[in-house]
Amino acid sequence: MSNWHISRRRMLKGLGASIALPFLQAMVPPGMSIYNMEKKPVRFACMFMPNGVNKFHWTPEKFGRDFELTSTLRPLSNVKNDILILNNLMNKGSIFPGADGHYAKTANLLTGLPIYQTVGDNLHSGGISFDQLIAKHNGQDTLLDSVQYGMDRINSGIDGAVGFTRLYGSVISWKTPTQPCSREIDPRMAFDRLFRGSLPNSSPKEDKWKKSILDLVKDDADALQRKLGRADQDKLEEYLESIRSIEKRIDNEEKIKAFENKITPAIQKELVGLNMRINEFNETFVGVDITEKTRQMLDIMALAFWTDATRVGTFMFGNSVSNRNFSFLPGVQGSHHQLSHHQNLEDQLEQYRIINEWHVEQYAYFLEKLKSLPEGDSNLLDSSMIMFCSGLRDGNSHSPYNLPVLVGGKGGGGLKPGQNLDFEKDTPLANLYLSMARVLDMPLECFADSTGELCEIHV
Amino acid sequence: MKSLIFVHTFFLFAALNSTNAMVVEDEVIDHVAMLMPLAEKHCFSCHHDTKRSGGLSIKSYFMGINDFESRIVRGGKVWTNIIQTVKSGEMPPAGEPHMTHQERDAFINSVNAILLKSLSSNDPGRVVIRRLSHNEYEYSIYNLVGVKFDAKSRFPNDGSGGAGFDNFPNTLFVTPLKMERYYDAADEIMDLAYSDPSTWIKIVPKPYKENLLRRIFNWLVRLFSGKNYVENHLIAAEEIIIPFTSNAFRRFLKPEEKQIYLSLFKEVYDGTEGKDKFNLAIKETLKAVLISPNFLYRYEEEQPVNHAYPLSNFELASRLSFFLWSTFPDKELFEVAYRDDLHDVRVLKKQVQRMLEDEKAKHFSESFATQWFGISRFKEENTADPERYPEMTPSLRASMYQELVEFFHYVLTESKNFLELIDSDYTFLNEELANHYGIGGISGEDFRKVALVNSPRGGILGMGSILTSTSLPIRTSPVLRGKWVLEEILGTPAPPPPPDAGELPEEEAADANASIRDLLTIHRSKPACISCHQKMDPIGFGLENFDAIGRWRNGYGTDPIVAWDTLPSGEVFNGPFDLKKILATKKELFARTISEKIFTYAIGRNVEFRDELYIQALVKNLIENDFNSEQFIIALASSYPFRYKVNDTAEKFKMIAKN
Repeated sequence: MSNWHISRRRMLKGLGASIALPFLQAMVPPGMSIYNMEKKPVRFACMFMPNGVNKFHWTPEKFGRDFELTSTLRPLSNVKNDILILNNLMNKGSIFPGADGHYAKTANLLTGLPIYQTVGDNLHSGGISFDQLIAKHNGQDTLLDSVQYGMDRINSGIDGAVGFTRLYGSVISWKTPTQPCSREIDPRMAFDRLFRGSLPNSSPKEDKWKKSILDLVKDDADALQRKLGRADQDKLEEYLESIRSIEKRIDNEEKIKAFENKITPAIQKELVGLNMRINEFNETFVGVDITEKTRQMLDIMALAFWTDATRVGTFMFGNSVSNRNFSFLPGVQGSHHQLSHHQNLEDQLEQYRIINEWHVEQYAYFLEKLKSLPEGDSNLLDSSMIMFCSGLRDGNSHSPYNLPVLVGGKGGGGLKPGQNLDFEKDTPLANLYLSMARVLDMPLECFADSTGELCEIHV
Repeated sequence: MKSLIFVHTFFLFAALNSTNAMVVEDEVIDHVAMLMPLAEKHCFSCHHDTKRSGGLSIKSYFMGINDFESRIVRGGKVWTNIIQTVKSGEMPPAGEPHMTHQERDAFINSVNAILLKSLSSNDPGRVVIRRLSHNEYEYSIYNLVGVKFDAKSRFPNDGSGGAGFDNFPNTLFVTPLKMERYYDAADEIMDLAYSDPSTWIKIVPKPYKENLLRRIFNWLVRLFSGKNYVENHLIAAEEIIIPFTSNAFRRFLKPEEKQIYLSLFKEVYDGTEGKDKFNLAIKETLKAVLISPNFLYRYEEEQPVNHAYPLSNFELASRLSFFLWSTFPDKELFEVAYRDDLHDVRVLKKQVQRMLEDEKAKHFSESFATQWFGISRFKEENTADPERYPEMTPSLRASMYQELVEFFHYVLTESKNFLELIDSDYTFLNEELANHYGIGGISGEDFRKVALVNSPRGGILGMGSILTSTSLPIRTSPVLRGKWVLEEILGTPAPPPPPDAGELPEEEAADANASIRDLLTIHRSKPACISCHQKMDPIGFGLENFDAIGRWRNGYGTDPIVAWDTLPSGEVFNGPFDLKKILATKKELFARTISEKIFTYAIGRNVEFRDELYIQALVKNLIENDFNSEQFIIALASSYPFRYKVNDTAEKFKMIAKN
């Protein structure tokens, strides 16, 4: 197979559209064949790192294809040719009068619009988040339209100092502008929700009357809705929609069959292994080994992608302002948020960097995991777009400019990874979403404050 | 009904009284004309649109051609805070042109007059339908089914809104994932109940069995009367399902509701084989009850009227019960709601007193106090650095948490004096915690009331839980402690730090012998920082004798601790004893904090400016009754916003649009 390829678009440009073009193997990205390309769905995930980065050790010096990874990005050396490093993107929606250091830059990371400043009574993220837009659009064929994973519980309470509900710092996925998605933080429960029935010797519990029960409570809710005011009805709509989504899950035998058919012996082997690790973890390290817990959550997401249980996911390494104690890392003595306010002190900057590097390492783990899972004659990473980012650049000054953004994977052939790209100053982050939407076959005119696609990342 | 009117007018009267005390009654005066030159002279120079000191632009209220008065009213909550800071002398700050007494009074009175004029005393506000919080779900399941279910570790966490309480409607969502968990939980709960005969017998006291005799009887009936056989199993099922469901729904069932639940029972019964089909059918039916929106949501039906109206007796009983017990009404409350008028203040008072005496009132103490004081996750999360403080074990954390719960509950139900939250001559200890505090003579795991003699403990400011959760992992933070007192006790939060404020160099501060006062003094010397730190730091210094996990210390290593300082309001103190004495004199501020916090928790919405009259009445109630907790709860439960509701205006708007 050739190790070079021509973009079909470039060829069209070069030759003029008057010639009917045959679809050549040379136009297929390396590692793919014409026959399986169409069928493979593109997976999307966004991984959120709280508290920004040490800006001095993030961006590689040289731009283009020939760059050297910085110390923070070094864990990505095995997948260097599978990633895009995108510089100078920013989220303009983070800047408005009253916007604070963290919350106004977290909840809207995937919506690209300003959030409402509130302590909780009129929660509003600005818009639907990009992942949920994909879920709505492309998630109908899979068991779940999307999954949301994380490490910490949603923070409760309000941050009195800035007048925002802490919920804003804990959510990046918004089903609607007013409805945050719930997320799984427990590997056991996340695993069981998808795969409990797929383990060998498992006998799913018979639940003959589930449908009748759901029908009944739906009638109950319909009757109730008629007796309520407008705002109450909206609230109850969440309930009805959730019931409908469960019904859809048990009703659609075709989907369930399709999912079950995908559980090959190879997949089952992975599932058994992961299941054992989760059991061991729960018995021995509860809540201690953060690295292992992170990897379990990421493995579950990888398997969810591999089995096509879902194609969309988000993962939060922590809530923003997370003060996770990272003293378990050699060279770090303290906690995350505290160290992110480094005041340009050399020693603190280095500790901050080590914490960033740990996050990148987990991201690299996920990319390598996807790469190790075969799909057709290529691998899962090739048909994925895995974004890694934070809502801030420098944590000390809460800077929302030049966000640290990485994208891993070939997006099913739509992306041209292996580049360190420098965009024009203050290019909207939403331009990336616009680009990704095209890769996902989900054409959008615009998204939030987008001004156009990021042409350089496309094939 | 007569008593109802009585309560209402009594309340209005009380509210008006407090109004009179504050306003210079004069309708002719143009209050804006009075106010504007004063604001211009004393406020605009810092509080304008570009500078926005403390995040506030006062000038913006007086710009443009709009009606300034209605703008001030819309920003009512902000303006009540402005009055507070002007009243306390905090603003205008030292160094700015002096505000004379006359100017100060004129300023305060004008704002008050503008705000109070706008208040109507018959707007109870609206509470949105709300899902049960995880706490409420757990307690309700326990009281309903008799099964202990750990909802908090099984369900995705909720955020929380108003004043940080988890029972706040707008942050309680149902999502597909949560709904799946509710279904699985109902399944598991009913399985657990069914598998344990002692639990099941309470749900199904007399299991129905279709024995031979009954079958022959049915056959005979059918043979001779031509009717279908008597459906004894349906009658038996009804006796179980209807009361269970009424409890779950906190009201009587409507005929059509009875019908649909019984028809589910019938469907399962007819579709199941085997001896145990009666029990199994009951189990499936009750599962449906546990995921019904009527159980999972608390709501109040709308009446077809366009003014505020009292809640139904059952709805009021529900509000009371979830307020004080975090669960549905018990049999007595249910019966009182049915037979008597709960809006009758004597009936209501009797019930509140009874409910506070019930052990379920501890649900309120735990849920409310740990959330108010910000330690609800204290047991689960260790914020102290494990290497620096290996003493901070999970069991010590649990003891610290329990101290606060036991103490608050005692204050609420026994001593009945909320002021003791700030300062008391007793606390609650077990052996482990007593050792931590250096108090001898306590043995065993159980908590008991311990009289304190010459001890810095007593009141929540001497508690390990509070002192630890307001510290950083490796050291104390006078700033955080000061900020906490300002926010949670005095209700006067300091504005957020400017973006370039920076933090203390951790390396130096990590030195156990470093004096935090010295470090902070450097930090404070920045002019942008001083006005707020002047408020926060002294309070924190007063607590410096408590280390980062709440132990007493006399010095940083060999360097002595200087725990004396001056509050911005002028009082000088030395150490926690003095500090607590001074805080206990800030009665009006503390009373307002209590009133607003409990109001928010009890009613389930934020305190808004339109509630000002009710809040003022509650503050007055506290001050006049020496902070009596019971009388306060009764006053709150009989207050207008607690007992009344008004229809959704959005709905009305929609109807008008249709016409």
